[in-house]
Amino acid sequence: MLAQVSTATIIGVDAVPVRVEVDVAFGLPGLTIVGLAGGAVLEARERVRSAIRNSGFEVPARRITVNLAPADLPKEGTAYDLAIAVGILAASGQLPRAASLAGMALIGELALDGGLRRVPGVLALVDAARWAGLGEALVAAEAAAEAAVVRGIQVVGAATLGEVIGHLSATARLATATAAPIPEARPADAPDLAAVIGQSVARRALEIAVAGRHHCFLEGPPGTGKTLLLRAARGLLPQLDDDEAGEVSRIYSVAGLLDRRAPVRRERPVREPHHTVSPQALVGGGPRVRPGEASLAHHGLLVLDEVRHFRPDALDALRQPLESGSVSIARVDGAVTLPARFQLLAAANACPCGWRGSERHACTCDEAAARRYATRFSGPLRDRIDLWVRMEEPARVARETDGREPTHAVAARIGAARARQVDRQGCLNADVPPQDLLTDAWLGSAGARTLVREGQRLALSPRRLHRAARVARTIADLERAERVGRGHVMEALFYRPEAGR
Amino acid sequence: MIGVGTRDPGTAERGVVPQRPVSWHALDLRGLDGPAERAAWVALSLVPGMGPAGFAAVLHRFGSAQAALRAGVELVPYIHRAPAAAAEHLRQHAGQDPAGVLRRAEAAMARVGGRVITAVDDAYPGILCHLDPRPPVLYVSGNQAALEGTAVAVVGTRRASGYGRSTAIDIADALARAGMVVVSGLALGIDGEAHRAAIDADGTSVAVLPSPLDRVYPPRHADLARRIVATGGALVSEVPPGVAIGRPDFARRNRLIVGLSSAVVVVEAPDRSGALLTAALAISLGRELYAVPGPIDAVASRGCNRLIADQSASIVTSSGALLQRLGAFAPGRRGTLPALSDVEGLVLGQLLRRSASIEELMGRLGMPAAALASALTFLEARGLATSYGGATFHPTLLARGRGTRGAEQRGP
Repeated sequence: MLAQVSTATIIGVDAVPVRVEVDVAFGLPGLTIVGLAGGAVLEARERVRSAIRNSGFEVPARRITVNLAPADLPKEGTAYDLAIAVGILAASGQLPRAASLAGMALIGELALDGGLRRVPGVLALVDAARWAGLGEALVAAEAAAEAAVVRGIQVVGAATLGEVIGHLSATARLATATAAPIPEARPADAPDLAAVIGQSVARRALEIAVAGRHHCFLEGPPGTGKTLLLRAARGLLPQLDDDEAGEVSRIYSVAGLLDRRAPVRRERPVREPHHTVSPQALVGGGPRVRPGEASLAHHGLLVLDEVRHFRPDALDALRQPLESGSVSIARVDGAVTLPARFQLLAAANACPCGWRGSERHACTCDEAAARRYATRFSGPLRDRIDLWVRMEEPARVARETDGREPTHAVAARIGAARARQVDRQGCLNADVPPQDLLTDAWLGSAGARTLVREGQRLALSPRRLHRAARVARTIADLERAERVGRGHVMEALFYRPEAGR
Repeated sequence: MIGVGTRDPGTAERGVVPQRPVSWHALDLRGLDGPAERAAWVALSLVPGMGPAGFAAVLHRFGSAQAALRAGVELVPYIHRAPAAAAEHLRQHAGQDPAGVLRRAEAAMARVGGRVITAVDDAYPGILCHLDPRPPVLYVSGNQAALEGTAVAVVGTRRASGYGRSTAIDIADALARAGMVVVSGLALGIDGEAHRAAIDADGTSVAVLPSPLDRVYPPRHADLARRIVATGGALVSEVPPGVAIGRPDFARRNRLIVGLSSAVVVVEAPDRSGALLTAALAISLGRELYAVPGPIDAVASRGCNRLIADQSASIVTSSGALLQRLGAFAPGRRGTLPALSDVEGLVLGQLLRRSASIEELMGRLGMPAAALASALTFLEARGLATSYGGATFHPTLLARGRGTRGAEQRGP
């Protein structure tokens, strides 16, 4: 007898529907799983046998064949356990009303005692079931709150295989899980901007960067407040909107990093990988493609302090996501694309001793060593930085307070500037396509003219002009200016990485 | 040989013949200008470790370079720096024809467009004749007449600050426009800026290299070296071409820089900078020494400030004052200056008073960072200000030519 059960599998941070087909036939007793099943899937045989037996059912002494369709898609993980077990029970006639299986996705890992466990990526898996047109998803009780976030599909949580069978045979219906409302973002645990002494230029650049999601690099001697500014930046981030929250939660669900009590988060992610991070950990990869730091920082901040101490191969792997907002990982069986639309905030000393470019301290570095150090953040990466700030040592900084603004005042301006951008073009300035950048409609004729003329004087590349155009637009947005003026463009060019080189 | 009683145990242990320095002026160079002797000078100067002082001592002892070469390994006690290598060299090359050595050196020099000049040649730079001991052989490419002009050395640290760079440019530019030859060591930092500024002012520059002329050191300044030659300047080295040397010889380069110049200006030097060695040489060789002061808390200027404090060097208060001290005069610069807005004019006026970062300009002018950033970019794009990749902005020569009043006078 044949039974079919729906479930789903993760590819990258997306999921696709999978059908589990179970055939119970006469022949030598055994359980075979086909359909490019990986190690964890093959082990499902033992978990499923025990779980069925310990739930008071029996594994028929027949030849059982399980096929996971589409059969050419490699499958990993333990999310198929429940579907296989229910399929076997249905195919062997132990499940009354097997028809109830139609229109339902079963997702979960089985314990030997028949208990049901959560699997990573439930959010994405249930979303795939909804996309496949299924009306109901049965998941582990502990994952129900997370899964219920997906709208357009009923989510039911069950604690054991027995409860699942009870629900399917309508003897003991389980309640539909409801999604908790998405909580407001908690205030970020960040130092206040007012704590930064001096450094008006860096604070200004940080404000512009966050307002338009521009990549920003702080370069300067030790002790100038680079790290403090990086940490203060998270306090400037506006909370995620509903769509962004869904995307971010999906990625975190797949990575198994969601907070179980609050499966959907409003806080913009901030990732601060250590400088020993490997290329794979930074952009994702591995035998089962896992999202890397770049994807975990999707819609948020990727903070790289002491960026010149990172492995150059890891940094170079960031080139693609910096440009396109996503990471493609080539695999034997095709490429997996992970979203990675992060904002890069980096900080570094200018040379190993830190004093290069200083007017007061003499740099003690060997010339060749200093050059090697500088190029650890390579030219192509530098080209992708929108705002490059050269900080100076505090000794030269004027001591009087310069009306240092607190975080909340700056964050309010940023929020307003972001709203203007979305109202105007439906996205942030960083995401405006290149062909629109230098147009009169977007940049204004005065702005575009100034940018092209000054760009020629400063011998800037087309890529730099594009980046400066976006920054100039953001500066105008912060001022609530309708048109981009000459001053906005000139300030945007001030932050070019090529300055003075 | 001097008496056993006065023998220095250190040198005695090393088996070196103790010797008094021999004054070059005490040498009798008459009759030492035949082609064979000239070739012998070149061959003798190629002995490893043979510096100007050793050369003078050898000439004094043997009477001529030809006689010295015939003496072979007897020369070894006169060579303090590398006696083992010298002995090896002398053994290997015993009996070789000096004329062949000279021909090879001249052929190698011809390939880089230069020539070999010995201290007995008429072409030997006149100013070096006051040097004691003087370099026996020079390798020169470019315009030899540049070595006869009134020359001022502009030297300083390789790790120059923006202040140091902009001052080096200002001074070299003034010297070049006053018709002086700017001499420096082609190093990164101050040296490079000085050469470039002299060329940009349509002046003449002489670079003294620590390396052979066919292997310009530092390699990053190979283009600059070509430009120096192309603009009527010269490259000079004591190191023969085609010779594989271990390390660039900075000590001899510095001495030659001082020797070729009538005055030396140290623009920026931290403690223990090579430029301070040049300064010490200038004092011992009796050249006028000038130093550019820096802020008292600037590590990069500590060496210069000390030279001034010790009264070893005269203070340079401005490029104009330096020219006056040197008895020179530079005609004014010409150039069209762009129209500036009020803010840009104010910012430039401040920079001309003193280089400043945005943070400092905020304090002085009370304007927001954004407006200052715009103004500075405008000034930068028009070549009136530059940051040298740091946070502090400096006025350029073009801006200085305009003068403080000009910048501040401009109304709306």
